[in-house]
Amino acid sequence: MDFELPAEHRMIRDTVREFCEEEIEPIAQEIENDHRFPAEIFGQLADLDVMGVPISEEYGGLGGDQLMYALVTEELGRVSGGIGLSYAAHVSLGTKPLELFGTEAQKERWLRPLATGEEIGAWALTEPGSGSDASDMDTTAEKDGDEYVLDGTKQFITNASEAGSVLVKAVTDPDAGYDGISTFIVDPRNDDGFEVTTVWDKMGLNCSPTCEIALNGVRIPEDRLLGEEGEGWTQTMKTLDGGRISIAALSTGLAQGAYDAAAAYAKEREQFGRPISKFDAIRDKLVDMYRKTERARLLTHKAAVRYDGGQSVTKESALAKLDASEAARKVAEDAVQVLGGYGYTEDFAPQRFYRDAKLMEIGEGTSEIQHLVIGRQLGF
Amino acid sequence: MMKVLVTVKEVAEVEEDFEIEGTGIADRYLEYDLNEWDDYAVEEAVQIAETGDDIEVVSVTIGPERCEETIRMALAKGVDRAIRVWDDALAETDLLDVAAKTRILRAVVEAEEPDLVFTGVQAGDDSFGATGVSLADAVGFEWAAVVNDLDVDAVLDESVARVHRELEGGVDEVTEVDLPAVLTIQTGINEPRYASLRGIRQAQRKEIAEKHLADLGLDAEAVETDVRLTEMYEPESESDATIFEGSAEETAAQLAQVLREKGVGAE
Ligand SMILES: Cc1cc2nc3c(=O)[nH]c(=O)nc-3n(C[C@H](O)[C@H](O)[C@H](O)COP(=O)(O)OP(=O)(O)OC[C@H]3O[C@@H](n4cnc5c(N)ncnc54)[C@H](O)[C@@H]3O)c2cc1C
Repeated sequence: MDFELPAEHRMIRDTVREFCEEEIEPIAQEIENDHRFPAEIFGQLADLDVMGVPISEEYGGLGGDQLMYALVTEELGRVSGGIGLSYAAHVSLGTKPLELFGTEAQKERWLRPLATGEEIGAWALTEPGSGSDASDMDTTAEKDGDEYVLDGTKQFITNASEAGSVLVKAVTDPDAGYDGISTFIVDPRNDDGFEVTTVWDKMGLNCSPTCEIALNGVRIPEDRLLGEEGEGWTQTMKTLDGGRISIAALSTGLAQGAYDAAAAYAKEREQFGRPISKFDAIRDKLVDMYRKTERARLLTHKAAVRYDGGQSVTKESALAKLDASEAARKVAEDAVQVLGGYGYTEDFAPQRFYRDAKLMEIGEGTSEIQHLVIGRQLGF
Repeated sequence: MMKVLVTVKEVAEVEEDFEIEGTGIADRYLEYDLNEWDDYAVEEAVQIAETGDDIEVVSVTIGPERCEETIRMALAKGVDRAIRVWDDALAETDLLDVAAKTRILRAVVEAEEPDLVFTGVQAGDDSFGATGVSLADAVGFEWAAVVNDLDVDAVLDESVARVHRELEGGVDEVTEVDLPAVLTIQTGINEPRYASLRGIRQAQRKEIAEKHLADLGLDAEAVETDVRLTEMYEPESESDATIFEGSAEETAAQLAQVLREKGVGAE
């Protein structure tokens, strides 16, 4: 077992880190406050081949593996949870399924612009009435000649307002349960009847748009069906297996960013005549933060390496996501505490990590659902 | 066909708090990175290659295997191939002076026959600031030092390096140097790019040719030196600062008082 990253992965991580520190960190709070999706940053990320890391070179991606993708996502999370979330949703949810399940023609038309970063991707599963119980959806796709007609509402869809394509889950056969769900490629700019009805104001991650979308008789040609009719649910499970690794990586990044901020501050800040890091209570907190961060990273890398080896990762990715998201929240909370009053101000990063981290215990399956998944995998 | 040779060096950067051990800084306080000036030299060379046709950019470094990752970063940014000179004799010297570097680099220049050689103005670690010009002298090339602007089209179309040189006191000198030439590159001449991830992946397959002294027709004598590092210490830093406290009026009055006492200003 080798815990050292390959040189190529290290170089990629270091380069992305440098970019993040130079280009993203200085604006991270500002884009949060302005609730602004930083399209220019995503343009730069596209130029550096970041937007399609785990997508085959044949379709304009980098051809990297899941471990490389996890490293990149962690670095983004270390400076901006919002950029990290939009990135992870773009890659894992909006792009990867097209590579896994698309036809050659679909890959050329829809995957390539996402893999190169020319377009941003989105993925619409959740609905107002169906979250954790995701298969219980109301959105329908009815066949009409050689077209499908989509009707329904999707909730909390990351990137929908910026997207060049949205992968929409809809019921094609109401009597077939899990096997009655299918996936459709919707073009939000050109398909009539698609509308972003709300962009939510949130507790954090405000530079990442979270949208409610309405599908009112959206008429699309049948070649927009991804895979076969009825495959939507198994596709979803596979997509989330990979997606959860990226949320775990993003969470690790949030924890690392919060730890870094707290560690630097604790060495500088003096009270009672010495640096606060010299007080047992603060030192123990920092050690604990370090421990949680390192553990989150190890679980994340383990899941990623298994994914790359073609092994099943349902349990590993759920475990990594469960652990890393909790680590991110706790480490960020402790970071606020280490900075005292300053930690509570927007002039310092820990509060932002704290706000951002909370979502990681909710999106792509809540922690309660991860327990359910892991429990089932363990045979309980 | 044109060839640009860029000399690059991995330098140690020292952390804020460090300890000196013998005549060096303890390894655990060091982080290794590409010399800052060399980053600009690499960028300038790559820009020439991107502007013209059929231009090869080769980097050369003198350094141990450890520095390959740093060298690979230059390959990722567009350098075509790299040469790394290392030898037991080099591992044993604790100070490589300008003359020794010149002897090694001269041998590389003679083997590669570049049209242009870029070096950094200086290296951030031992700051001799002399290698580029010394090399030019040794190989009989023209040179320009501390170049902060280069007319790339003139290089390609007229085989001439039309450069701006940054002189003391903010003076800008414009000079023309015929190729082949050595230019020592100043920071700020361009904006070094980030390596693209695809560049990093491709760089893994690019060549880093390891050369021993014998491969260059040299022997251990080439790295002998009369310069010895005898001591390293942190100089006492003296600071004599007075901090005025109070409102703007009060502090202004205190400052005026001091200036008057020192004899500054009109009576
Ligand atoms: C910022 C953000 C971005 C998002 N991005 C996307 C996206 O891009 N695409 C997309 O499709 N969705 C997205 N979502 C939706 C997200 O996946 C859901 O919010 C999440 O799955 C939870 O669903 P819900 O909000 O309906 O909560 P509910 O399912 O109503 O859950 C409420 C509470 O009940 C608990 N609960 C529910 N069922 C069980 C059970 N069986 N056992 C124990 N506890 C249970 C939950 O854990 C939770 O604590 C996003 C959400 C947010 C906030």
